Amino acid sequence: MAAVRFGLMAVLLWLFAGVALAQAPGEQHVDITLVAESEQPAPGSEVTLALASVPQKGWHAYWLNPGDAGLPTRTEWTLPPGATAGEFRYPVPQRLLIAGLMNYVYEGPFAPLVTVKIPAAATGAFPIRLKLNYLVCTDAICVPGKADLSTILQVGDGSVTPARRAQFDAWRAALPRPLGAEGTYQVEGKALRLSIPFPSAAATEGEGYFYPATHGAFDYAAPQKVTRDGDRVVVETGGVKAVGPIEGLLAFGKQGFWIKAVPGTVAGAKAAPAASAPWSAGVLAFLGAVLGGLILNIMPCVFPILSLKALSLAKANAEGGNPRGEALAYTAGVIFVCLALGGILLALRAGGATLGWAFQLQDPRVILVLLLLVTGISFNLAGLFELSAPGFVNRAASKGTGGAFATGALAAFVATPCTGPFMAGALGAALILPWPAALAVFGGLGLGIALPFLLLGFIPPLRRMLPRPGAWMETLRRILSVPMFLTALALAWVLGQQTGVPGMTIGLAAALLATLGLWWTGLRQRRGKALAWLPAALLLVVAVAAAAIVHPEAKASLGSQAFTEARLAELRAQDKPVFAYFTADWCLTCKVNEKAVIETEAVEKAFADHKVGVLIGDWTNGDPVLGRFIEQHNRAGVPLYLWYKPGEAEPRVLPQTLTQAMLRDLAAGG
Amino acid sequence: MIHRILIETGLAADVLVAAPLMAEPDVAATVPNFRAFDMTGKVVDLSQYRGKTVVLEWNNPGCPFVKKHYGSGNMQKTQAAATGQGVVWLTINSGAPGQQGHMTGPEAQKFVAGVGAKPTAYLLDPKGLVGKGYGAKTTPHMYIIDGKGRLVYKGGIDDKPTADTADIAGARNHVLAALGELRAGKPVSVPETRPYGCSVKYAS
Repeated sequence: MAAVRFGLMAVLLWLFAGVALAQAPGEQHVDITLVAESEQPAPGSEVTLALASVPQKGWHAYWLNPGDAGLPTRTEWTLPPGATAGEFRYPVPQRLLIAGLMNYVYEGPFAPLVTVKIPAAATGAFPIRLKLNYLVCTDAICVPGKADLSTILQVGDGSVTPARRAQFDAWRAALPRPLGAEGTYQVEGKALRLSIPFPSAAATEGEGYFYPATHGAFDYAAPQKVTRDGDRVVVETGGVKAVGPIEGLLAFGKQGFWIKAVPGTVAGAKAAPAASAPWSAGVLAFLGAVLGGLILNIMPCVFPILSLKALSLAKANAEGGNPRGEALAYTAGVIFVCLALGGILLALRAGGATLGWAFQLQDPRVILVLLLLVTGISFNLAGLFELSAPGFVNRAASKGTGGAFATGALAAFVATPCTGPFMAGALGAALILPWPAALAVFGGLGLGIALPFLLLGFIPPLRRMLPRPGAWMETLRRILSVPMFLTALALAWVLGQQTGVPGMTIGLAAALLATLGLWWTGLRQRRGKALAWLPAALLLVVAVAAAAIVHPEAKASLGSQAFTEARLAELRAQDKPVFAYFTADWCLTCKVNEKAVIETEAVEKAFADHKVGVLIGDWTNGDPVLGRFIEQHNRAGVPLYLWYKPGEAEPRVLPQTLTQAMLRDLAAGG
Repeated sequence: MIHRILIETGLAADVLVAAPLMAEPDVAATVPNFRAFDMTGKVVDLSQYRGKTVVLEWNNPGCPFVKKHYGSGNMQKTQAAATGQGVVWLTINSGAPGQQGHMTGPEAQKFVAGVGAKPTAYLLDPKGLVGKGYGAKTTPHMYIIDGKGRLVYKGGIDDKPTADTADIAGARNHVLAALGELRAGKPVSVPETRPYGCSVKYAS
């Protein structure tokens, strides 16, 4: 009887299962494969395993903390005796808010990683079995899944195939990096303020979000306000439930940082959320741009247009034309072109950001392109070649209000190459400021260019004060090429600082190549040949392509070099003491140690006196080769300070907080 | 200055709009009252049970975690044990129309009869008002309210967050444990746990 009732119950449950009924039992909505980095792990070492997971379209699997609903994956290992498995490390998840409930999920392929310790005595076959209990959901339904995964490794030499290595490196890159510094948080009523040490100079992309790994710390669905404020990131949110240590993941786009925080006192973020500080900076940049635009008017490439227009304005005045209308149209034309240029730049910035490019002057590729640009401008000012606007602009510039608009556009257009330093400033602002402020800067530049003409239109007597165009302008132009050449020289120096002699040589060679093209173009222009720009265009493409082959060298301050294991072996073979340190732009402890200890005169002198080799590993972008080296020293991240004393096989791992005395003593004793 | 104040006020308003309309009574706090239709079309008012212990159970018959506890008979047994002690048991369905587990009155009656469920009443909350008022996040999600109208437990049905029927045997049934403690006049030793299950299928 009971069995009958139970059967009936089961049938009814299936009936009410609705959509779930459509899924055939046993059908998997996420493909999970167990992959080992090395098929032949060495005895006594660790092998990294990945759960390469691919959810079906529309389905999502869960992060280690699933959020308001859902379940974390449960694992059950069967390993040979003596072997142990660590904790799974999860990549940065996504947020999925469904009807007010927050879910921390993966909607696309992801791979949690785990390390398994191989016993020193292990030999032969090494079977690994892993049972998984997981939950996978769509927006509407959830299906619990089970997987029984196994693989048999052969204990061996620890070799890794290049393809496997590349695959694991990509998975490692998606993991959050341990920040290595403790955060603090303060609770006020139901509001929580969390402060995380984070250097102001570190580049971040995208919007910030804190994924709590600790359940019950605060309401997952509550909105968060994440502000960068000096050397810290402040997360403010509500719905606080419990108090205790908080652990979690601070994410900026796909970048993730693992942090722990303890209760403490946290001051509110000084910078109002993306409003006041950028605004005042925006106003300053706008005024600067207006001034820059104003100065541009005496540049020889703009001035002739201005005087041309001034003459036509005088004519218009004499013939009872509409000088004010013309002045306004001209202004509109200038501002329009400047805004369009700014818009293009912002579009490029947005496109670049999605590709993960950060526009930074620290990037030697950016410096090389700037070097080419400035060199080109210098030679233009020096008279090697001429820039002319497309013919239709010239024709349109001939007459009328439409003509005034076109002349304005032409002036701005022609002005672009010779704006040099002013434009560079606006360019920099455009890449850093929020887009409305960036556009305001370009608008300001246009307004500055148009300002004299605007004045001439509204105050006719000023016209008489205009200097006459003449040979003096050519002279002025040649003179102006000198500061431009100096700028190019400075850029070459910066490039040399960043990339060393090889990088600077590439940069100068690229500049030479570009100049040859421009010279050739100049010759063709003088002979009035068609397609005068052809040689320059070709050679410029080649020159810009050189940007692809310049690479940053580690920031060398004390004769230090970028860390590679080969370089380390070389220095050690020379019986030199070696100080190897691993740092990242986002690591505040690292930066503090560098400023206060490593890069001080006393330490640099001690290192120089005792011929200490200094190697720097920059882990800002999570370089997997460095990551593996760091892991070999039982650290999950930076800072890591290693001291190799000649004659000692293993390095000493120095504490995370360095002192000058410690390094001086080591240098003296090494 | 005025401009900035305006912007900030604007932000605050945005935050209010963006915030989920979820309220969640704290343990020991007085719970909000609610009125809802049950599966037979009768109005049930929470305040009518003042003086009695009330259990709230969030339900979605399509959810594998709910199936775990109904398919094994665990939920029915817990309901019978509770109502046998004079406790009021309200099963609530906050699934929105068109979502998994949403039921009309007759459908709910068929479900209750079919699985042999023993709630005092099965309430329909298709707009999710009761669910959001209590911060119900999963199915099942359990709440216990004492005779004074204060929340004494919220969280999961037990301490084995899986969809596996085999896990019921070794699990601590938090609801039965809390009801036992209440009857003995003792404070509830585990007043809050993390609920587990499918998300409540609210109208978005």
